[in-house]
Amino acid sequence: MKYNVAVIGSGMSGIMASIYLAEKGLKTAVISKGDPICSVSSGCIDIAGTGSDTFLEIEKFPAEHPYHKVGKEGIADSINYFKELIGKYGFIYSGDIDKNRSILTPIGKKRTTSLVPFPMEYADIKEGENFHIISFKDIKDFFPSYVVINYPGTKVSVFDAETDSTLGIATKMDNEDFLLTFISWINRQNIETDKVGIPAVLGINKTDSILKKLQEETGKLFFEIPTLPPSIPGLRLYRKFKKLAESKGVCFYGNAEISNFESENDKITEIVIKKPGRPDTVSADAFILATGSFVSGGLRFNKTEFIETVFNIPVYSPNSTDLFNKDFFKLGHPIEKAGILINENFKPLEAGFSNLFAAGSILANSETMKYGCGHGMAISTGVAAAKNVEEYLK
Amino acid sequence: MRASFENCIRCTICVENCPVFKVNPEYPGPKQAGPDAERFRLDGIETVDKWITHCTQCKRCDYSCPYGVDPSKLILNAQIRYVRENRKTLAQILFSNFHYISRLGSFFSIITNIVTSSPVLKPVFKAIGLRNDIPFPVFYFKTLQRNRKKAVRTPYSVEQKTAENLKMPLVVENERYGNIPYIEPKKRKAAFYHGCYLNSNAPVEGRMIISILEYFGIEVAIPDQVCCGLPALGNGDLDKARGFAKKNSRELAGYINEGWDILYSCTSCGHTLIYDYPEILDTKEGELVSKNTWNLYEYLLLLQKEGTIEFNFKPLDKMISYHIPCHLRGRGVPYPAVEIFNQIPGVNIFIQDENCCGFSGSFGFKEKNKTTTDTLGRIAVESLMEPEPDTIISDCGACRMQISNFTDTTIIDPIQILHKALSLDGS
Repeated sequence: MKYNVAVIGSGMSGIMASIYLAEKGLKTAVISKGDPICSVSSGCIDIAGTGSDTFLEIEKFPAEHPYHKVGKEGIADSINYFKELIGKYGFIYSGDIDKNRSILTPIGKKRTTSLVPFPMEYADIKEGENFHIISFKDIKDFFPSYVVINYPGTKVSVFDAETDSTLGIATKMDNEDFLLTFISWINRQNIETDKVGIPAVLGINKTDSILKKLQEETGKLFFEIPTLPPSIPGLRLYRKFKKLAESKGVCFYGNAEISNFESENDKITEIVIKKPGRPDTVSADAFILATGSFVSGGLRFNKTEFIETVFNIPVYSPNSTDLFNKDFFKLGHPIEKAGILINENFKPLEAGFSNLFAAGSILANSETMKYGCGHGMAISTGVAAAKNVEEYLK
Repeated sequence: MRASFENCIRCTICVENCPVFKVNPEYPGPKQAGPDAERFRLDGIETVDKWITHCTQCKRCDYSCPYGVDPSKLILNAQIRYVRENRKTLAQILFSNFHYISRLGSFFSIITNIVTSSPVLKPVFKAIGLRNDIPFPVFYFKTLQRNRKKAVRTPYSVEQKTAENLKMPLVVENERYGNIPYIEPKKRKAAFYHGCYLNSNAPVEGRMIISILEYFGIEVAIPDQVCCGLPALGNGDLDKARGFAKKNSRELAGYINEGWDILYSCTSCGHTLIYDYPEILDTKEGELVSKNTWNLYEYLLLLQKEGTIEFNFKPLDKMISYHIPCHLRGRGVPYPAVEIFNQIPGVNIFIQDENCCGFSGSFGFKEKNKTTTDTLGRIAVESLMEPEPDTIISDCGACRMQISNFTDTTIIDPIQILHKALSLDGS
C-alpha cells in the first residue's frame, strides 16, 4: 500500500504525529509491532519535573534536551492541541499544562504530574485533608494498607465484586445492574469524608457516565488511584487515542514487525512487514520513527553497542564505562541518554536518509524518567516531527 | 513462533487485551497461561492445568505483544497437551470431527434441521456437555461442493476475456485519478476455499462470492476440500488436524502450481491456512499455501489497484456496524472490506474491533463456557449498537450466529452489501 507518510510506532508520539498529518489531508499509516507502553501507563500526562511551574522546569533542562528543539510555544501548542482533540472525543483531561499537581499513587505516596484524566481530578490530596478508600475483596493489583500507612486514620471499605482482577472489576462496572448494586452498597457504608479514593476500575468504556452516576447517587467526590499494570487508565487512553486516529482516516498495521526496507538514493521507499505467509509492504514518501526507547524495543544494547532496531541508523551512545559503574536503579543513569540525535528538522543525524524523521522517547538525551517528561515529550516531539514532515512534503 | 517465551518482560499488555480474562476469574490470562507457565511445562511432567481450556484462541494476545512472543501458540500447544494428558470429552471428539458432521448434516439436511430444532435432542446435548439454549445453525442440502463447477485446471487454454465482455469501458472515469487508460487485465484465476460453514450453513452467501468474482471476470474453481482443521486443533486433536491440513494443502498446492490464487472468506479458515499450516501443522505444502492465500477483499483491492477491475457501485443508504472477527484483526492490515465499502456512496461504516464476540466456534457450544460466551457477547453487541446501525456485518459465521442471539438488527455477511452495491441482486 502507498501512503504519504508511514509512522512507525503506535505510542503517544506516533499516534499524535499521525493525527496531525491526517488532519492536514495526508494519507497516513501507523505500523506497530504490538500495543504501546502507554497502554500500561497511568494515563497522566507528565510534562516536566516536580516543581510547581512546568515551563520553569523545562528552562532548567540541559541544552541538548529534545524539548528545546520544540520550543516553549511549540510544547504549549502541541499539548493543548492534544488535550482539546481527545477532550472533544470524550476523554477529558483536567489541569493546566504550565502547572504541576500531585496525585495519590498505589503505594500511598504522591507523585507529580501535569494533566490527569477526568477520574483523577480530585486525586490531589491537600495537607490535612481526609478521604475514604473503597477497595475490593481479593483485588490483586491494589493494596489499600499502603495508603493507610501513609495517611493514618483513613478508613477502608471493601466490596466483594466476585472477581479479583482490576480488569474484571472494570468490565463489571460497565454493566448497569452491577453498578447499581455497587452504589447501593456504598450508600450503606458509613462514609464520613467528602472525598472517596478508589482503585482505577471505574469501567473501561463508560467511565464518564459511571463517575457521574456515582457522584449523583452518593454525593461524594470520587477519584481513581492508578494501580499496578494491567492499568485501566492507560488502556482507556490508548483505545480512545487510537480510535480518534482511525476516525481521522489513519490506517493501522498491527502485529507488524518490520524485517526489511528498501531505499533509493537517500530516500526510504518501502518497508517490509514480516509475517507468516506473504510479507506486507508499505511504501510512503516520508517516514517517522517513533518506536520508543529500550523498553518499547526501538533501541537495543548488545553488550558492546547501541542499535536502532528498524533502520539501523547511528545511535548516540553515552560514555560506555559509565554504563556499568553507576548504580543501575538510580535516576539519571547514563543509559537514559542513549538515542537518536536529530537536527532542527527532526531528521536523524548521519542516518543518510532525507525522508526519515524521529520523535518520542527514542530521541537522545530525553531522559524521560529523570526529568518526568514522558507523555509530554512524546506528544510535543510527535507534533513537531509531523510539522516538519508536512513542510518536507510541500 | 516469532520469539521465544523468554522474551516476555511481563508487561501485561496481553492481559489487557484478553477477552476471557476480563470476564472469567478462573482464567489467569495469557501472560500466566502462556510464557509464565511454559517454564514449568518444560519439565515434561503432567503439569497442564485445567484452566488452559478457557482460552478461546482469539489471538489478541499475539496481536498486542510488543516483544514478538505469541502467547496463544504456547497456550494452544498446552491445550493439545492437556487433552493428551487427560481423557477427551465427548464434545471434543464431536467437534474434532466437525467436518463429517457438517457433510452429513447437509446431506440429511431436512432431518438434521428438524432434529436439531426439536426439543428431543435437548437432553442429549446436555448429556454431552453442549448448550441447548441457543439455536443450532441451519444446514443446507445444496452445498457449495454439491453443485460446484468441476475444476478447470487447464489454465492456459482458457480464452482471454476482453474488456467488452467484462462490461468495462475502455477509458475508466475516476474522480480521484481522472481518466485512466484501460489496462488489459492480467488473467486471474481464483480457487475458492470456502470451509465448512459457507459450504453447509451459508451456501447462499458462498454463491454470492462466486458470482461477484465471475462478474469481475475472474475464473473461479471450487477445489476438493475438507475442514481446515481448526476445530480439531482447538479440541486438542493434533493428528486429526494434521490429517485435514495435509489433504487440503496437497490439493491447494496443485492449484497454486498451475497459477491459481487461493481465496478465503471465512477468516478463521484463512487464519489457519496462513498461520498454522506452515507452523503447528507443519505440512510439506504448507508454506506454499500460506504464501498464496488471500482474504477475498484484500484480493479484490489488489485487483483494483493493479487496474484489473473497477468498482461501479450504486449508492446504498446504509448505517453499518462492522464486527471485526478476531482472526481478521490478527491479520494486522487495515481492514480490506472497509476500504472497499468506503467507496460505496452513501455507506457509513463503523469499525468495532475491540471486542471478541466470545463464541469462538466450538467453544461457544459448550455448556461449561456459557457464562464467558454470553457475557462477552453482550459486551460486543452493546458496542455494536452504539452508532445505531441499520445493519451489522461480520465475515465470520460463528460471530454472526452469536450476535444474532443478542439483537434483532439484521446481521449479514459483508458480501451481501457488495452484491447489492454491484446491483447483482436483481434490483
